[in-house]
Amino acid sequence: MSASRPLSVLTVCGVGMGSSLILKMTAEDALRDLGVEASVQNTDISSARSMNADVIIGQGMHTGELAGIAPVVVSVDNFLDKSGLAEQLRGELSGQGWL
Amino acid sequence: MDTVRDVLIWIANNVFGQVAVLIGLITLLGLVLQGKRIEDIVGGALRATLGIIILFVGVDLFTGGLSSFQTIVSSAVGLEPPSSDNTLDDFLASHGGTVALIITLGFALHVVLVRVFRAARYVYLTGHLMFWISVVITACLVEAFGDLSQPVLVVVGAVLIACYWTLQPLWMRPFMRRVTGRDDFGFGHTTSSLGLLTALVARPFGDPERHSTENLKLPRQLSFFKDVNVSTALVIGVILLVAMAFADDRVVAEAAAAYDPDIDPWAWGVIAALRFAGGIAILLYGVRMFLAEIVPAFKGIGDKAVPGTKPALDIPTLFPFAPTAVMLGFVASTGTFLVLLGVFAGLGWFTLVPPMIMLFFGGGAGGVFGNAVAGWRGALIGGVLNGVLLAVGQAVTWGMLGTTAPELATLADPDWYFIAWLLIGVGAVVPGVWPIPIAVAAVTVGLLTWLSVREGRREREERERAEREAESAEPAEAGGTADAATAPGAAATDTAAPAGSEEPPRG
Repeated sequence: MSASRPLSVLTVCGVGMGSSLILKMTAEDALRDLGVEASVQNTDISSARSMNADVIIGQGMHTGELAGIAPVVVSVDNFLDKSGLAEQLRGELSGQGWL
Repeated sequence: MDTVRDVLIWIANNVFGQVAVLIGLITLLGLVLQGKRIEDIVGGALRATLGIIILFVGVDLFTGGLSSFQTIVSSAVGLEPPSSDNTLDDFLASHGGTVALIITLGFALHVVLVRVFRAARYVYLTGHLMFWISVVITACLVEAFGDLSQPVLVVVGAVLIACYWTLQPLWMRPFMRRVTGRDDFGFGHTTSSLGLLTALVARPFGDPERHSTENLKLPRQLSFFKDVNVSTALVIGVILLVAMAFADDRVVAEAAAAYDPDIDPWAWGVIAALRFAGGIAILLYGVRMFLAEIVPAFKGIGDKAVPGTKPALDIPTLFPFAPTAVMLGFVASTGTFLVLLGVFAGLGWFTLVPPMIMLFFGGGAGGVFGNAVAGWRGALIGGVLNGVLLAVGQAVTWGMLGTTAPELATLADPDWYFIAWLLIGVGAVVPGVWPIPIAVAAVTVGLLTWLSVREGRREREERERAEREAESAEPAEAGGTADAATAPGAAATDTAAPAGSEEPPRG
């Protein structure tokens, strides 16, 4: 990961259609607020394992199993909380030296 | 004139009759309207089109897997597999364009309803169910009234779906507030009838504080079931292999040979279960691909047309409020379904297919709603109710959709069954199709008017009380709640609204 390419971000849920899509829209807003260039995709937990992402965002019940799949795994409770997610991401991305 | 007619017929067959093309064009339009860049427009429209193509491949694989599953299990229990004159694949090929138009027009009508009535505060955003429930309504209309012309199907379907999308989050609102403890998003899912039923039935059985599921510890080994790809492959596989042991050897050999003449039947059984799960995974992948383009476009349009509304969202948004209740509800609903599968087979009824996705999400929702009213006993009751509704619904509804798309009965949530029973039942007694959308629209508008008037009055009373109590302070919260009615441009559409709801917020 370097600043030269956009961050690849995955949002995940059980089948990758409903809540992960809402989470994708929230994550896109949060990343824009942070000024991070990123491409965000939503998917299910099975597919997430085979996709090389820099960041995975999902509910705790899924991210628990996805730890180690990506350098940064963020767990959220509220799918609409843009600023809360931005704060979590700010911490994690700074920790990796990406921000 | 003939050339004009030929052109119209060509468009009808090749654009409105081809769901992939139509969805691509709708996406294109949505992206253009949002002023996206050219590369995003081309990419988005093509991804949406490809999504539909992939969906069809998945449906094809799924219906094939379903029929071998039913043949083997039927043979094992000594019954005829359920017959049908049509498949979901054929139905989507002939009516997919109609479904796409119903979604689009229905969403536009839904946004208008939300815009006009202040009580209708939720914009429905659970995209895959927007697609499937439109398929169900189209199939039911065709079952009940024969093949209506496409414009009639589109108008009738769009009115029905718009009313459903507007009312469904509203009737779930009290229970959502109980579960989430707040009111920033609604419940937009075709499991709503189960939620209502659970909230009512479970209430006397426990105390949400004292018996909360979140004080329990569940074994970690259950966790892989959360991946529906894994649980579908596993549960279908086990049932198929057990059924093969009891089935007629010739039936099994025939099904295996149809796949590969050299394969061992047992190896085929394993492959067949995996192909079934694979078909569902592909189907979901296709749906995901076109939704990822269309839903943000819909949301953008909704946000612009009706600022200040709340989204109605998919079931997993509830899961963080009670993760243990989710697992409890899921296990209870799967167990109940499997028991009923045996009972129904014993009674000589239809061969059921465990719908793992609906057992997980519906069971999970039943668990969360049940827990919110009665703790772990409520969660169990919610899960059991989901299993019962899915099993009974599947057994009853398959035959009702026999000439259109019976497989819908195996992919369904409780609301699908209730909608199918209502539409097909009412269709059998009313002379034409029009009384149905007219009655539904009248009831919806009446209800929304009443709710909006009531809400307006309550807000006014609260504001007056607040003003009396604190004459000097500017009431900040009053401005917030009245936003929907005072937003710029609201006056133009509000003239169509009843007198009560267009009163200026200051009274």
